[in-house]
Amino acid sequence: MNARAARPQRTHRSGPRPPSLGSNLWTLAALLALLALSAGSALLKLGAFNEVANLGIAIVKALLVLTIFMRLKTDNALLRIVASAGFAWLAVLIALSLADALTRVSLLPPW
Amino acid sequence: MNARLHTVPEQFDDPVQQREAATLGMWAFLATEILFFGVLFAGYTLCRVRFPDAFAAASRHTDMLLGTIETAVLLTSSCAVALSVREVQLGGRRLATALLALTAALGISFLVMHGFEYYAEYEEGLIPAIHYTQHGVYAHGIEIFYCLYYFITGFHSLHVTIGVVLLLVMAWRTWHRAYDADYHTPLELTALYWHLVDIVWIFVYPLIYLVGRAG
Repeated sequence: MNARAARPQRTHRSGPRPPSLGSNLWTLAALLALLALSAGSALLKLGAFNEVANLGIAIVKALLVLTIFMRLKTDNALLRIVASAGFAWLAVLIALSLADALTRVSLLPPW
Repeated sequence: MNARLHTVPEQFDDPVQQREAATLGMWAFLATEILFFGVLFAGYTLCRVRFPDAFAAASRHTDMLLGTIETAVLLTSSCAVALSVREVQLGGRRLATALLALTAALGISFLVMHGFEYYAEYEEGLIPAIHYTQHGVYAHGIEIFYCLYYFITGFHSLHVTIGVVLLLVMAWRTWHRAYDADYHTPLELTALYWHLVDIVWIFVYPLIYLVGRAG
């Protein structure tokens, strides 16, 4: 007997279920609110915390897009691993570049 | 061209496995895109550590209002394309096509707004090697900021342009019943690409437009 015929027919319908309309719209509302927060906080004098707020909000926004819009929350776990690997290599790239730039001391010539 | 006639190539067991292979391949490509833009962001980080005050001065030359509107436009377009994939999954066609056309239109409006920004920067003499008229102690650092700015936003705009073309093709095909609840992988992959373009901009926004705005 043909093995393929014996298997129940699976279609895309058996893949991850589409997210609800509400979750998509709430995500958009949250993203726009975070954008307003980001623009507002940038105008306040917070010192080094300005940069923390800027990047922190950007990371939260990116995570919202990744998990809800790109469906990493509900889709195959393998996709989460590949996506994390991309960002992990980026973190290595920036961390090692910074480690060099921030710890380099200018040596005086010995003569 | 009908989604119901879509046959599964013989290397796959069934449509689910085919979709998994396609999305995995797309994510591997997106990881290389993350690193492609990552190199530009790493270069930005190093130069910013070297010239912090010049980067703050340069960032104040950018148009924060337009930058914020552009971010809002891209975020909204991301939601629209996510909704269009959802609509196709639920069997809708007209609304899905309209949402894809809306996404493409938002992408085009982003490009137009960015064109206005580039023009304003040309007028202000902020284009290194072509029309650069800045003077003073920060002139050199500002030049480096704008070099990075044109590379990052230029490559991003190129991605937006490619995305708009893909979205229009997807809108055309969706309208002509190429996709339905059983088969819509190309649409899903195009949406993933568009979301990544959005994520890149989410990081461009604070790094280019929001530095040194306080006080």
